[in-house]
Amino acid sequence: MIEGVATNPYLTLPVTVEKITVENDARDLKTFRLAFRHKADRKGFRHECGQFAMLSAPGAGECPVGIASSPTDEEYVEFTVKRYPTGVVTSALHSLEEGDRIGVRGPYGNGFPLAAMEGMNIVIVGGGFAFTTLRATIRYLLHERSRPRFKKITAIYGARSPGELLYKEELMAWQGSPDMDMHVTVDKGDKTWTGREGFVPTVLGEVKPGAANAVALVCGPPAMLRFTMKPLLDLGFPPNHIITSLERRMSCGIGKCGRCSIGGQYVCKDGPVFTYEQIMQLSGGQF
Amino acid sequence: MTLGAIKKEHLGQLVAAVGAHGGFYGPVLRDNDVCLDQVQPSDTLVLDYANFTLPPKGLFFPRSEVIATHGADGMVETPLPTGKAVLFGVRPCDAMSLTYLDKVFMEAQFADPYYRARRERTLTIALACRDPAATCFCTSVAGSPSGQGGADILAVDIGDALVLESATPAGEAFLAEYRKLLGRPSDNQVKARDAQVAQAVRKVSSIGSDGVTARLQASSESAAWEELAERCLGCGVCTFLCPTCHCFGLYDEEVGPQGRRVRAQDACVFPAFTLEASGHNPRTRQGLRMRHRVMHKFCYTAQSFGDIFCVGCGRCIVNCPANMDIRETLTEVPP
Repeated sequence: MIEGVATNPYLTLPVTVEKITVENDARDLKTFRLAFRHKADRKGFRHECGQFAMLSAPGAGECPVGIASSPTDEEYVEFTVKRYPTGVVTSALHSLEEGDRIGVRGPYGNGFPLAAMEGMNIVIVGGGFAFTTLRATIRYLLHERSRPRFKKITAIYGARSPGELLYKEELMAWQGSPDMDMHVTVDKGDKTWTGREGFVPTVLGEVKPGAANAVALVCGPPAMLRFTMKPLLDLGFPPNHIITSLERRMSCGIGKCGRCSIGGQYVCKDGPVFTYEQIMQLSGGQF
Repeated sequence: MTLGAIKKEHLGQLVAAVGAHGGFYGPVLRDNDVCLDQVQPSDTLVLDYANFTLPPKGLFFPRSEVIATHGADGMVETPLPTGKAVLFGVRPCDAMSLTYLDKVFMEAQFADPYYRARRERTLTIALACRDPAATCFCTSVAGSPSGQGGADILAVDIGDALVLESATPAGEAFLAEYRKLLGRPSDNQVKARDAQVAQAVRKVSSIGSDGVTARLQASSESAAWEELAERCLGCGVCTFLCPTCHCFGLYDEEVGPQGRRVRAQDACVFPAFTLEASGHNPRTRQGLRMRHRVMHKFCYTAQSFGDIFCVGCGRCIVNCPANMDIRETLTEVPP
């Protein structure tokens, strides 16, 4: 719970936009680094990888966004936001400048069960701009305090084109890191691209991460998720060791307003992280 | 359990006595309709009604309210109501509905401060039904025309007087506090109350809803949902008048130099309710939305809270412009 405003979960904490990074060629993905205006608020905002928060742009309203920074990034929190032309809040967020003041409310949701994954091999599969909470997770896993608690870390991340890859500098660093096995792919390369080409599910089948003592964390667009389940099951991952994150429209973020209800569960409160086994029960396997 | 009794002609004195210490909300005439509203000195309590058009949820979870304003350095909460209030005359079905809303809005992790402040200051005196309507089916959903669930005190109309019985310690304290006005009932009055309670329950028709949760669960893929939804206009009146429906939205508005955050009731039967900025909508068709609403009430809440979130008040039946009837839906959707 948040200190200071613990009694009222509907009020936002004031933050300042410290840094804005344009992530892609299409310029519709921006990462916002936020600094809490009150120190106590930062202390109270203790998140886990996979959780989200409600971002509010003044006068426009709120929307849920996955937290892209790691709990080990103690000085700030980051969110990568995709702008949709019809999205009132995402458009307002994209028109912000560094130094502007906005609001944040959270953290909400269950997050990835990283404590239960200690001592295991971790397989991370991400596609497109759904990579944000997986990026938080990789940053967390590679941190010197956490890395010894996990075995082999394999990550596969893909985007439509090289210009659409998020966090390009970190991807470079991770590809050269002895602490993990990072595979970056694009659906189709360009003249300057020397890396791998191919869809994420195909690359997953080629990399063949072992399923023994392993958990797979998968985030991506619904089509990618659908096509990724089969190779994972073929590799021997049981449905309760395939973990993903759902997205739904939300308003309250705390399991009351009814918007994100799916098969009796609230994505905001019971999720957003669910196992594939749970998703098959909730929605017949629909993401 | 403590008993009390009051002659109807003395109810005005009770209103005045309570009103001196806080708000007294009861059945009064507004625009020729019996409504639950704060009783004014010019009002007379009306006791002959089947039920109110609007459920009492709006007193705790208004259709729309400003919950905060944007200050220079963060948000400023709208002051919460203080002082005591008495809610008199809700029907037992509606009193029961408040216990269901409590499970949503007052759960431990994220209690809703606005709802909670209004609930905690309110003492509820439910008025048992003498003549349940033809659309009532409380006895099929764990209720009764003289049920005490959600009430601090249950009042039973025995003609010239009301016999009161406390259902909670707060109700007992109220009876003690106003003992001068609420004397003890005679043996004959208690007998009349028991007879009244017994006759009312016989008037409520049963809808054969046994095992409804399991039956609906099995029907989730049935084509019947789409067929049923062809009649539904998607107007949302069933949700706004339902005493347990609690969907809402939070909206930020710019008003002058300072913005404000508004919370307003919303409804899962509207297509835009789940429409995402990307254009994706997980419930695109009315059939999916209708299924969701019915399953939420009769399956999901049964699983998560142990209660079916329907109290059998019949408002959705009475007010549906397309004559849809939840009793038929529940019995006719095949697995």
